[in-house]
Amino acid sequence: MTTQHTSLKSMLREGGAIAVRFAKARTGSFVLAVVGAALFVAAIVASAIVIGWVTDELIVPVLDGGESYEDLLWPAMWAVVAVALWKAAAVILRRTAASFLQFRVQADARHDLIEHMLKLELAWYQRQSTGTLLAVSDTDVRQGTFILAPLPYGIGSSLLLVGTVVLILILDPWLALLAFFCLGVIVAVNMNGAWRMFNAFRDVQSLRGEVSGIAHESFDGALTIKALGRIDFETARFQEASERLRDKLIYVLEMMATYRVGVEGLLSAVTVIMVIAGALRINSGAVTPGDIVTIAYLLSLLFIPIRIIGFVLWSIASSRAGWERVQDVYDVRDLVPYGDLLADSDDTGAHVSGSTVSFAYDEGGAVIEDLNLAIKPGRVVAIVGPTASGKSTLTALMARLWDPSTGSVSIDGRDLRSFARSALPGEVAYVSQESFLFDDTVTGNIAFGVLASEGDVVAAAKLAGAHEFIQELPEEYDTTLGERGTSLSGGQRQRIALARALVRKPRLLILDDATSAVDPSVEARILERLRDSEMPSTIVIVAYRTSSIALADEVVFIDDGKIVAHGTHHELTAGVPGYARIVEAYAEDAAERAEEGRGA
Amino acid sequence: MSSEPKGSGTIYALRRVFQETPTLRKGIFITIGFAGLGTLIQLVVPVVIQTVIDQDLLGADEVDVGSVLQKGLIALGAMFLAFLVRRQALVRLARASATGLSELRVRTFEHLHKLSILHTEAERRGALVARVTSDIASIQDFMDWGGVGLLIGVAQVVLAVVAMAIYRFDLALVVIAAVVVYTVMLVWIQRILARAHDKVRTRVAQSLGAMGEAISGLPVIRAYGAEEETRVKVADALDAQFRSEFRTALLGASLFSSAEMFAGLITAAVIGVGVVTGATSGMTAGTLLAFLFLVNLLVQPIQTLVETLNQAQSAGAGVRRILAILDTPIEIDDPDDPVLLPAGTLRIEFDDVSFHYKEDAPLFTGLDVEIAAGTRVAVVGETGSGKSTFSKLLTRIHDPISGRVLLGGVSLTDIATDDLRRRLAYVPQEGFLFDTTVADNIRYGKPDATEAEICAAITDLELDSWVAQLPAGLSTPVGERGGQLSAGERQLVALARAWIVEPDVLVLDEATSAVDPALEVQTRRAMEQLIAGRTSVTVAHRLSTAEAADEILVFDQGELVERGSHDELVAAGGVYTAMYADWVKGTQKVE
Repeated sequence: MTTQHTSLKSMLREGGAIAVRFAKARTGSFVLAVVGAALFVAAIVASAIVIGWVTDELIVPVLDGGESYEDLLWPAMWAVVAVALWKAAAVILRRTAASFLQFRVQADARHDLIEHMLKLELAWYQRQSTGTLLAVSDTDVRQGTFILAPLPYGIGSSLLLVGTVVLILILDPWLALLAFFCLGVIVAVNMNGAWRMFNAFRDVQSLRGEVSGIAHESFDGALTIKALGRIDFETARFQEASERLRDKLIYVLEMMATYRVGVEGLLSAVTVIMVIAGALRINSGAVTPGDIVTIAYLLSLLFIPIRIIGFVLWSIASSRAGWERVQDVYDVRDLVPYGDLLADSDDTGAHVSGSTVSFAYDEGGAVIEDLNLAIKPGRVVAIVGPTASGKSTLTALMARLWDPSTGSVSIDGRDLRSFARSALPGEVAYVSQESFLFDDTVTGNIAFGVLASEGDVVAAAKLAGAHEFIQELPEEYDTTLGERGTSLSGGQRQRIALARALVRKPRLLILDDATSAVDPSVEARILERLRDSEMPSTIVIVAYRTSSIALADEVVFIDDGKIVAHGTHHELTAGVPGYARIVEAYAEDAAERAEEGRGA
Repeated sequence: MSSEPKGSGTIYALRRVFQETPTLRKGIFITIGFAGLGTLIQLVVPVVIQTVIDQDLLGADEVDVGSVLQKGLIALGAMFLAFLVRRQALVRLARASATGLSELRVRTFEHLHKLSILHTEAERRGALVARVTSDIASIQDFMDWGGVGLLIGVAQVVLAVVAMAIYRFDLALVVIAAVVVYTVMLVWIQRILARAHDKVRTRVAQSLGAMGEAISGLPVIRAYGAEEETRVKVADALDAQFRSEFRTALLGASLFSSAEMFAGLITAAVIGVGVVTGATSGMTAGTLLAFLFLVNLLVQPIQTLVETLNQAQSAGAGVRRILAILDTPIEIDDPDDPVLLPAGTLRIEFDDVSFHYKEDAPLFTGLDVEIAAGTRVAVVGETGSGKSTFSKLLTRIHDPISGRVLLGGVSLTDIATDDLRRRLAYVPQEGFLFDTTVADNIRYGKPDATEAEICAAITDLELDSWVAQLPAGLSTPVGERGGQLSAGERQLVALARAWIVEPDVLVLDEATSAVDPALEVQTRRAMEQLIAGRTSVTVAHRLSTAEAADEILVFDQGELVERGSHDELVAAGGVYTAMYADWVKGTQKVE
């Protein structure tokens, strides 16, 4: 990993810009928090004045002068308590407003991130790891907004810093100059620390990402790892990353300890230096001993703002490191372009066509090359081809999950790209090999993103062959699925996903090996029902089994990203050797075996 | 997870973490000693300044600069010493926490891998990653910020109390009584706060879930045009999280402000008692003022400690979740005294095996199966028949609830994992690939495999032409989770990965289900030539595999209902006969 060194200036400028952006977004709570902080700081000064007054008027006269305490005791105690009340109220105001600011900005940032991601192209999405994207939305947003916790306090308490220098200035300009210089040194040390921390923080953040990435991958591959007996290897791999993170953390924490303790020490040193310098000034008659007492006291109050300013600077460092990753996602401009066409509520199947379509994923060559295809409305079309021939890509292009690199895909002569956002799914439903279930009820999973009556949901489930097993679930259609819900088998998941497509009564239904985990006879029944149903769909299926292919009106045979043949199953079996080799592989195998059996 | 009250839960959890991680507590008393010493030395500075002001500045007409300078230098020296000692305490703490927590992280990771939860409850994987990332991070935060405050704070409180007792015992009693009352109050408030934090955590988990779904379900959301609905769902979850966070912060603010009130009240009380009794007991103003200074010293860390309570809550929750993992016993453990597998081909036996995933749904009860050494066996059955579980018991992904599975006459539980994995290879359906090249993924099965061995495995399986058409051959990167390859291609890599081990027993669980039929038949035929004499068990969805097997086991609802050769079973007129008819109908040539 290389540490790109960011200059102190740019760190402060960009960190400041982040802070300003947040403060502007929620001005009200920001101002309230600053006011709360200022009131708190004022209360600290007030409490010092009260204690001074109580000392001078009550404690010294009574204990050393033997005077009576009758008159002043209660007022003095009340004054102390009143100042404490003031402090407490200021604390509540500052903390409440600052929390509102911080949590609201976090929620807003997360919402905006998700909203933005939902608009981005799948091509971009495919390049990311979902774990990283989640980490950006969760931890990076939290880290990016760290600055909001100490910022109002820092601004409010800085008033104390300014006030102190001004007060000293009134007492003696030379001492003020010295104080100003000393405090400047402390702030500079703080800044230097923040800047060094920033670069180290970045490394920590990226190492955290690495640790989390290994855990994600390793947990996903748990079965494979166990099957191959590689748990020790995975543990060693994880340990190595964890220890690199540990070393970086120790480095950061040691640095932090040095600065933290160092700055507090420096502040004590300033008080000592001021007292020594003050002694010299007394002798030259410029100030009185009382002034020095006041100055020493004022300086002791500076512990709070100096510490908070340190926090602010360090938070700028860590905020920028976190926000950088959030901003990277915001800055992605691979938005899916949409037109303004709305879905056609026509109840006929869609006419699908692709002309001179080519497509390539980021890395590697063309998956689809100069492909032309036309599918008539209402037809059932099977797409057949060898492993990795581009079948899935072709169906994804039909559903506009991807856009072709060249050429165009249209339904009823309308380019898919000319549809308005969310309009296309009103006409096209796509079911993939992997069925993703949401953390929702069966009904919620089926009626996903569409208004459907209970009857529609049940009808779709019946059509998808899912109704029977749904009825056996603990709460039938109200059973929760997904992360915290009931686990279903692969075949059951696929049927729920199929019902999700069917409930929308699409004009084009695309099934990309969507029933692979369903038993053959069940699959055949589902496909038969689909074909015979009243649904006015054009159906495109990626399939291997001849039983499924036989149900199709026509077959598109694709190899190496090109359409090799397009016709009926009979035509292709007779005329295209590559096709016959695939669809009849099992039958051939069985025949050969029978042959061998007889021969032996 | 245990169900003790939440308040003591946090303390219990934090204590457990120290027990579980010796590195964390190693030398902790030396660290505390450093922190205490540093705090003590630091007190020299205000004392010196006070002395300078009282004796040198206020007392005399002419200030003795030499004396001021001398005392100033003492103060500066003390300050530097305090810096060194306090820094050392923090550094020691940082090292211990970072090292200890890294150990805990790795241990939790390893433990999770040894449980079956990762592959039986696939949907929870995302949440389990949090155990080794954010949960550890929350403990780290507590150690580094709260722990420091705790360390210095406790040292300061002890010093202040001791100093107070030396000054004026009676006044010290007043202060201690107040501290006790306040502490009791804090514990009470902390319980309320704990409940609020629990609610926040639930809400955070919910909005994380909503965001996670929006991200991992993006292709489906896009395909169904459900962007707006998803956005609203996420927004609602985030709003709910915000409300509970804000409510908790409000509570925290009140708690923190109570510390200010406490400080005010205790100061007023000391002034009151001091002034009223002082006149008769002969206390001087100087003593009372010194005492007030100590009160201030005492109150400051109490405020920090209150803040620490906040962090302790979330750290405690993280610890509890990690402990819930570590406290789950490992199902599959290496034997203490392993028996070495005999050389040569191995036979397989299931001896009275019972198994279930969930208590109320038994899968196998008293299953007895014997597979002779060197036979090729196909396992078939409908979804849910137990055929896949059969392969997982055979490969010791799971252990039976009762009964034994034996390989070459040795119970699987007596075989060392390394020995077992060298002799037996298992290829599950998923074909999971790591984010590296094709060659490295194949090598994952046998880390010391040479390039030549990898090529030989590819050639054995007759996959040369497939490799040749990959963009960069064996060096082609497969992408995250093998995403750059098709599902069928991923299975081919997984197959080669098991093949390279040259196992004596090969177990395939629908390992070629996504490969096109022609290639599947070709690959299988290639393997058949090569595994002659070895034992193989193939769980098959496609019955072409069964046709080629020496023997077929037919499972139905957890029972072995039929077994025999293909021809025998087709003729038997049972479950297999019907399945095969279905298969033939699905794959026969359509005229």
